[in-house]
Amino acid sequence: MPSRSIDLPQGTLDLLILRTLALEPLHGWAVSERLQQISSDLLRVQQGSLYPALHRLERRGWIKSRWGTSENNRRAKFYELTKIGRRQLEIERDAWEKLTAVVSQILETA
Amino acid sequence: MVHGLLFRLRTLFRRHAAEGELDDELRFHLERQIAKYQILGMSEAEAERRARLEFGGLDQVKDECREARGINFVETLLQDLRYTTRTLLHSPAFTSCAVLTLALAVGANTAIFSIVNSVLLSPLPYPNPQELLAARQNDSRPNLKDIQRLTNSFASSGGVNINPMDFTGKGEPSRVHAAYVDAGLLATLGVQPMLGRWISADEDVKGGPRNIVVSYPFWRDFLGGDPHVLGKSIRLSGNGYTVIGVMPSGFALPKEPADIFVSLWVAYPEAAPLRGVHFMHTYWRLKPGVTLTQAQADIAQVDRRLAEQFPDGEKGRGTLLVPLHDWLVGNVRPALLVLFGSVGLVLLIACANFAMLLMARSVARQRELMIRASLGASNSRLIRQRLTESTLLALLGGAAGLVVAKIGTTFLLALKPAALRRFTAIHMDVRVFVFVFAISMLTGLLFVLLPAWSASRGDIAEALRENARATGSGASRGLLRSFLVSAELALALILLVGAGLLIKGFLRLRSVNPGFNPANVMTMYLQLPETRYPKIPLQTNFRRELLARINALPGVEAAMITDLPLAGNYVDHRVVIDGRPTPAVGTEPEVQTLSVMGDYFGVMQIPIRAGRNFRATDREGQPLMAIVNEAFVRQYLADQNPLGSRIDWTRRNEPHKWMTIIGVAGDVKHSGLSQPVDPAVYAPFSQNDEAWRRFMTLVVKTREPVAGLVEDMKKQVWSLDSQIPVSDVQSMDDLMAVSVAQERFNMLLLAIFAALAQMLAGVGIYGMIAYRVNQRTHDLGVYIALGAQHRDVLRLVMKDGIRLTLLGIVLGLVGAVALTRLMVSLLFEVKPTDPLTLIAVALLLAAAALLACYIPARRALSIQPIIALRCE
Repeated sequence: MPSRSIDLPQGTLDLLILRTLALEPLHGWAVSERLQQISSDLLRVQQGSLYPALHRLERRGWIKSRWGTSENNRRAKFYELTKIGRRQLEIERDAWEKLTAVVSQILETA
Repeated sequence: MVHGLLFRLRTLFRRHAAEGELDDELRFHLERQIAKYQILGMSEAEAERRARLEFGGLDQVKDECREARGINFVETLLQDLRYTTRTLLHSPAFTSCAVLTLALAVGANTAIFSIVNSVLLSPLPYPNPQELLAARQNDSRPNLKDIQRLTNSFASSGGVNINPMDFTGKGEPSRVHAAYVDAGLLATLGVQPMLGRWISADEDVKGGPRNIVVSYPFWRDFLGGDPHVLGKSIRLSGNGYTVIGVMPSGFALPKEPADIFVSLWVAYPEAAPLRGVHFMHTYWRLKPGVTLTQAQADIAQVDRRLAEQFPDGEKGRGTLLVPLHDWLVGNVRPALLVLFGSVGLVLLIACANFAMLLMARSVARQRELMIRASLGASNSRLIRQRLTESTLLALLGGAAGLVVAKIGTTFLLALKPAALRRFTAIHMDVRVFVFVFAISMLTGLLFVLLPAWSASRGDIAEALRENARATGSGASRGLLRSFLVSAELALALILLVGAGLLIKGFLRLRSVNPGFNPANVMTMYLQLPETRYPKIPLQTNFRRELLARINALPGVEAAMITDLPLAGNYVDHRVVIDGRPTPAVGTEPEVQTLSVMGDYFGVMQIPIRAGRNFRATDREGQPLMAIVNEAFVRQYLADQNPLGSRIDWTRRNEPHKWMTIIGVAGDVKHSGLSQPVDPAVYAPFSQNDEAWRRFMTLVVKTREPVAGLVEDMKKQVWSLDSQIPVSDVQSMDDLMAVSVAQERFNMLLLAIFAALAQMLAGVGIYGMIAYRVNQRTHDLGVYIALGAQHRDVLRLVMKDGIRLTLLGIVLGLVGAVALTRLMVSLLFEVKPTDPLTLIAVALLLAAAALLACYIPARRALSIQPIIALRCE
C-alpha cells in the first residue's frame, strides 16, 4: 500500500459513496474503483468496509439496490441514489464544506 | 422509518435469499478485483491473495453487513439465547437459586392474592352492591316492618332466619336449610328468580299460601332439575309446599346457607308476629344518594320510638348498620391483610435476592465481559445479552411460579377455614399472575440494567488491569449489597416474629381446657317434626326411648343436649333469682339455657363441682331441678350457697315455676376456646315447658372408636321414626379442630411464609459471603501464607456477615414492633411485643444467618496459599 495514502476520517465514507452514486447507478466494485481513481489512490479505503456502508445507506433509504447486468455481462447488484439520498448528499456536503472551511481557517490563522 | 421497517421485515423473511445475495455481491467484487490484477499481469494466485488482503476478513465483512442491514435482530436473539442457556447451565447453583426465588415469589403471591382478591376485593354478586347494608343486630319481623315504614332512607329491606326443615322426598329424609324470609328480601338483594317468581307481599301474611322458592342446587339435586317444576308440590316437615320459583345458579344469600325460601308467616306463624323474637338477619338497600350516616340517623330515631313504645323487649335498641361487604368480610379481613402483607414482604425479599444474585454474577463475570468487549462486542450487544439472561431467568421463574401458584391455591383452598367457605368462586386469578409476574420481571430488568450498565461502562484497559479479584465497580455496589442483605434479614425477622406470635397464640388456644373431654365422643343432630311431635310428652317419650335403645348397644354411653359446645348455637333466656329484688324489665341477666337428658355430664366428663348430677328421677311431675355452671355462680350467686337457690326464666303474666339448683357443673367453653364462658343453666328435657325445643344433639361415648357406630345410631333413630333426618354427624374431636381452624390456618400460612423468608434471607447472606470469599481468595491466600490462624481467617470472613446480621436483626425488631400491632386481633392471649417471642425469633434468625456465613467461611479456611497466589 502506498505510504502516502491517508485514512478516511470517520463518517466521510458515506458522503463519498453518496457523491459517487450521484452520477449514475454503480455496483459495489465500481464504487470502490471510482473512489480510488478520483482520489488518485490517495485515500486508503479498506474495500471490505465499503459493503457494510452500502447496506447501512440502503437501510436508511438513501440508496436503493437492484440486480442488473454488469459491463462484463455478469449479474451484479447496482446501487442508485434515492430522492432522500440526494437531499442527504446536499446536507452532508454542506456540513463537510463548513467543517473543512472552519478547520482550514483555524489552521491558517491560529 | 416505515421504509426501514419494511426493509427489516423483508430481510427477516427472506433471510436465506438475503444471505445468498450478500454472498453473490461480495463474490462479484472479489472476482472483478482478481480479474483486474490479472490484467495488470499478476498470476492468478498472486491476484487472489492481493484482492483478499485488500478486502479484509470476508466473514467479518458479512457480519458487519448483516448488522448494517439490521437483519441480525432475530439471529442475535437466537445467538444470545443459545449463549445464555449455555452459561446458565454452566452455573446451576446460580440458575436454580434465581429461578426458585422467583418461582416462590410469583407463586405465593399469586395464590394469596387470588384469595384476597376474591374475598376482599371482588364485588358482591348483587346489583349496585354499594347500596346494600346489613344490621349488626338481629331483629324481629314487626320491628323490621316498622323501621321500613317509619324511615325514608331505604328503598327496601328484608330479613331472613335459617331453620332446618325435613325434606321427605325419595330415599332418606334430608335436613335442608330453609330460609324463613319476608317478601322484601329479594327486592333488597336485587336478584330475580331463574324460573317462576318470588314470594309476593300479599302471600307473605298470616295464613298465606304454602309456596316456596327453591335454590338452584336444591332444584338440581333434589328435584332432578325439572324444568316443569313450577306448581308441583313437595313435602317439608310434614306439610306440602308448592314450588313457585327457582333461583339462578349463582345466587346465594349474603351469609346464610339456604336450600329453600319460604315466608316466615307461612312456615313459622307463631314467631312472625312476636316483636321480641329477634332472630332475623336484616338487609337494607339505600335509596340512591342516601349516605350511610343519614340512614344510621334515620334508623336511630325509629329505634328510640320503638324503645319508648315497647320498653319490655326493645329498651336497649341500637341498630348498627354496616356496609354489607364489610359485614361479610369483617372477620376474615385482618387475617387476609396480614397474609397479604406477609406475601408482600416475601416478594421484597425475593426481589432483593434476585437482584443480589444478578449483581454478584455481573461482578463475577466482569472480566469475561471486558474481554468480550475488547474483542469487539459492542456495549449494546453486551447489555442485550444480560437482558436476555435476566428475561430468560424471569420467564423460567414465572413458569415455575405458575406451577407453585396452582399448587398453592389448591393447597390454601384445601386448608381454607370455615370463614372462607362461603366464597366458592375462589380460583387462581390469571390477571393476578400476570401482574405479579410483570413486577418480578421488572425487578429483574432494573437490577440487570443497573450493573450491566456499570459493567459495560467500565474501561476495558482498567478492567484488565484491575483483574478478576477487583471489587467490582467500587464501594457503592458493595454498599447496596450490604443494604439488601440487612433489609432481607430485617424483613425475614418481621415475618418470623409474626409467625412466632401466631404459633404461641395457637398453642395457648390449643391448651385451653374446653371443660369437657372430647375423646371418643360422637355426636349427631336430630329435629322432631312439629306436625307429629307438637307436645312435650310425645317428644319426651321419643327421647327416652331413643336413649334407652342406644344405651343398649354394647360399650356405649349416650346422652343428649339441645346444643353442643363449640357448635355455635345456644338459646338465651333472661333469668330471675328467687328472693332477689326483680330487676327492671329488659335488664334481667341473660344466660345460656341447655336442656339435657341422660348422663350428659358423665358422657362429656364435665365435673360436678358441688351438689349432685341429675338422676333419672328428676323428671316430669317431679320438683323442677337445675344445674348451673361455675360462671353462673361467680356472677349471680357469689354471696350465697348456690345449692338450694331457686331460679326461673322471666315470665310475663304467669306465676314463676322455680327450679332448684341441685348442682354446680364445671365451666365449658361453649362459644369457642378463645371466648369467655357465659353463665349457663342446665335443666332436664323432661321438665321443660317449651314445646319448640324439638331439637337435640346426641352425644355418644365409647371406650374406643367403634366402627359402624354412626350407622347403628341412625338405625336406632329410624327404627323409632323413619321420617326423622339425621345431620351434623361429627366427633367432638372434629368439632374442636374446626373451632380452631381459622387460627390454625393463619398460623400455618404465616409460618410457611416466615420459613420461606428465612430461607431466602439465608440464601442471600450465604451468597454474599460466598461471593466475598471468592473475590478475596488472593488476599486470604496471602493472609494464610503469612501465618494467619483459622480463627483469624474465620473472623475476617465472618465479620461483615455478623455485622449485617446484627443490623438486620435490630432493624427487624423495630419493624416487628411497629407492624405486629396490626395483628392484635389475630392473637390469643399474646401481646404483639411478647419479649420471649422476640428474643427467641431473633436468636433463631441469628443462628441461621451465622450458619449461612459459616459455610462459605469454612471454605476460606481450605484456601491453599499457593493456588490462591497462582490465581494472579
